[in-house]
Amino acid sequence: MAVAQPRLEKEGDDCSLLPLVHDIIKCMDKDSQDVHQELAKLKSRIQEAREQISNMPGIDSSPQEQQQQLSTLRDQVRTKNQLLQKYKSLCMFEVPKAS
Amino acid sequence: MRLKHEEEESLPVRAAMGTAAEKSTKERLLSVLDDLEVLSRELIEMLALSRTQKLPQTGEDTQILELLVQRDREFQELMEVAQHQGKVHQEMQLLEKEVEKRDSDIQQLQKQLKEAEHILATAVYQAKEKLKSIEKARKGSISSEEIIKYAHRISASNAVCAPLNWVPGDPRRPYPTDLEMRSGMLGHMANLPTNGVNGHLPGDALAAGRLPDVLTPHYPWQSSDVSVGMLPPHHGNDFGLEPPGHNKENEDDVEAMSTDSSSSSSDSD
Repeated sequence: MAVAQPRLEKEGDDCSLLPLVHDIIKCMDKDSQDVHQELAKLKSRIQEAREQISNMPGIDSSPQEQQQQLSTLRDQVRTKNQLLQKYKSLCMFEVPKAS
Repeated sequence: MRLKHEEEESLPVRAAMGTAAEKSTKERLLSVLDDLEVLSRELIEMLALSRTQKLPQTGEDTQILELLVQRDREFQELMEVAQHQGKVHQEMQLLEKEVEKRDSDIQQLQKQLKEAEHILATAVYQAKEKLKSIEKARKGSISSEEIIKYAHRISASNAVCAPLNWVPGDPRRPYPTDLEMRSGMLGHMANLPTNGVNGHLPGDALAAGRLPDVLTPHYPWQSSDVSVGMLPPHHGNDFGLEPPGHNKENEDDVEAMSTDSSSSSSDSD
């Protein structure tokens, strides 16, 4: 049986599930008993990926929305800084303490 | 084994939905991961089935494999996007903290401005009240000379201090006596009856002329000119008091009145 081998991803990509799939197919070709173990690995890896995704911060919005929120926050900070600067540069007098 | 029809349709649909800009990165990642799971399961099942049943390959395994590779690549790209979003999220958290700090600064400034406004408002109000008082005093101003003149008149009538040569029995009083009142403008205007007008029965009797002249005492201060001596000199001149009905009989009545023991004026002395 000719099975198209999956393309090997570069080694730095630990997000990829293809190496695990490749290992499973290799075990199947060899009729190895490790195929169940490899299947369990794949399953746990997928579950870990799900948990990791759920815990990642900042991905509750799309990149465009996030950029918009970032721009809004920057505008807010700039506006409030300008406002504070404006009022602090006014002629202020000391409030005398109540005698 | 052919893919189920629903799964075949769902994959491209999910792919289209996965690329929509409205979906969050998290949703897209989870969607792609689900696709990866389904595809890998399908591929493994297909290979296992073909091996056990020794059926010829139909090429679907290649299609699934290609899809699997595509999804995996997409998954990795999305993970890079997610990591970048994580860094942006950190920057946003810093900006949010800065915004909070600015908000508290603005609130503090607002509180100080409010306090200053209150103080200024109070000061302006008090200043306005003082200006009103000043204006009121200015409108009702009296010259100091006039006040001194009135003070002189009041003191000249012996109303604040007895005269130096005053002795008990002296008919002079610090208040206007009956004779003086009746000799004045009011007495002439009203021409009031003499029934206990000021509570001095002897005075009433005197005014009515019922007391005899023999009861008139003689005092050291009395001068020959009694008509002038009965009234304070300055007092009479300033107020223009000229008893029109004044006669010696009334003067004697006044002297008699003061010596009457029942006179409350004498008693009060």
